[in-house]
Amino acid sequence: MNYFKTITNGIVKENPTFVLLLGMCPTLATTTSAINGLGMGVATMFVLICSNTFISLLKNLIPDGVRIPCYIVVIASFVTLLQMLMQAYVPDLYKTLGIFIPLIVVNCVILGRAEAFAAKNNILASICDGIGIGIGFTLALTVLGFVRELLGNGAVFGYRIFPESMNMLVFVLAPGAFITLGLLLAIVNKVKNRKA
Amino acid sequence: MKKLESNIVNMALSLTLIAVVAAGALAWVNNVTSGPIEEINKQAIENGIRSVILGDRDIQFTVEAPVEREGFVFHNVNDMNGNLIGTAVESTDKNGFGGALKVMVGFDPEGVILGYTVLEHSETPGLGAQADSWFRQESAQAESQPVVLDVLIGSPGKPGNHNIIGMNPGDDMMTVSKDGGQVDAITASTITSKAFLRAVNAAYKSVFGYTAADAVSGASSQN
Repeated sequence: MNYFKTITNGIVKENPTFVLLLGMCPTLATTTSAINGLGMGVATMFVLICSNTFISLLKNLIPDGVRIPCYIVVIASFVTLLQMLMQAYVPDLYKTLGIFIPLIVVNCVILGRAEAFAAKNNILASICDGIGIGIGFTLALTVLGFVRELLGNGAVFGYRIFPESMNMLVFVLAPGAFITLGLLLAIVNKVKNRKA
Repeated sequence: MKKLESNIVNMALSLTLIAVVAAGALAWVNNVTSGPIEEINKQAIENGIRSVILGDRDIQFTVEAPVEREGFVFHNVNDMNGNLIGTAVESTDKNGFGGALKVMVGFDPEGVILGYTVLEHSETPGLGAQADSWFRQESAQAESQPVVLDVLIGSPGKPGNHNIIGMNPGDDMMTVSKDGGQVDAITASTITSKAFLRAVNAAYKSVFGYTAADAVSGASSQN
């Protein structure tokens, strides 16, 4: 098992957002600005790495019949830990992302990786998979947030680039999320097909 | 170690064990973080009171114990001689664009707005979420500062009329200009703006709808 390849695999070939199309709810809901996308991505990556580690560690202790409830307990515990830690030590980020943090529990990227990777591989490989998929997810969310903030708000990471009169508000709202995601998917596929 | 068989004893034991360990870990972290979280919330309220009543003024003050009445929370702020400088009111409007909108508004004893801050909201980022800065002097002025592209295409912005600080809800029509009021709504966020102004007006009414003596004796009897 090549650990480096496991990491890059999660970023490019199996990018959770652009290729696997998993975890669409937080992807569409939180990417109203680049910083929100980045924050959500990092929070998800933290939970993903922790849950992958523990599920890989416990995989022989968990009988197949109850694996899904066990995974959910592990994931939910880490999300709650993250929520309390963020509330206590990074209150500003918590204020922006607050309502989306509990939703990480039902983010199918995390359960998907637990089921598809961590339950079958050793700890080190599972950690690498968590890092790779986590970076891929963070990257995708940041790019999405970047485009939406630029077009919808005329700013990037809060720095104004276009005047307010040129804002296309639809990109900050829900329809803009779908439009941006669709266009980005088209670009990613175009680039991928050219390579093949 | 071989994978455990899926029989009822193994399944029950394994799930119980994981749940117990998880609960233990959560209890421990909760114990560690509850102190800082409480501290941060208290700090947020204190900073809120300071900013809505004093703004940039640097004077000594004391805050009376908060009084709760009909869903509003009142913080009376006195100077060092015990004279009332102003009252900070926490007020909530349930019908923002994304849900409840909770603000803190500071009034001087005559009812003039000294400052405000948004405590909790679920408004759209980049739109309604601007409420925390929109209704201030700085925001209205910043709009008249042209950015690079404005100069290039020759359309400098004009100052908006959405600074509520210094207004008195008892004298001024504090509704959005669409409804004949004196305040410009946030661009594309009329619902948020209306909810915000409703919360401010309700806060004013809750203080000045009573006599000043009522509010003061209500506050001191709690101490």
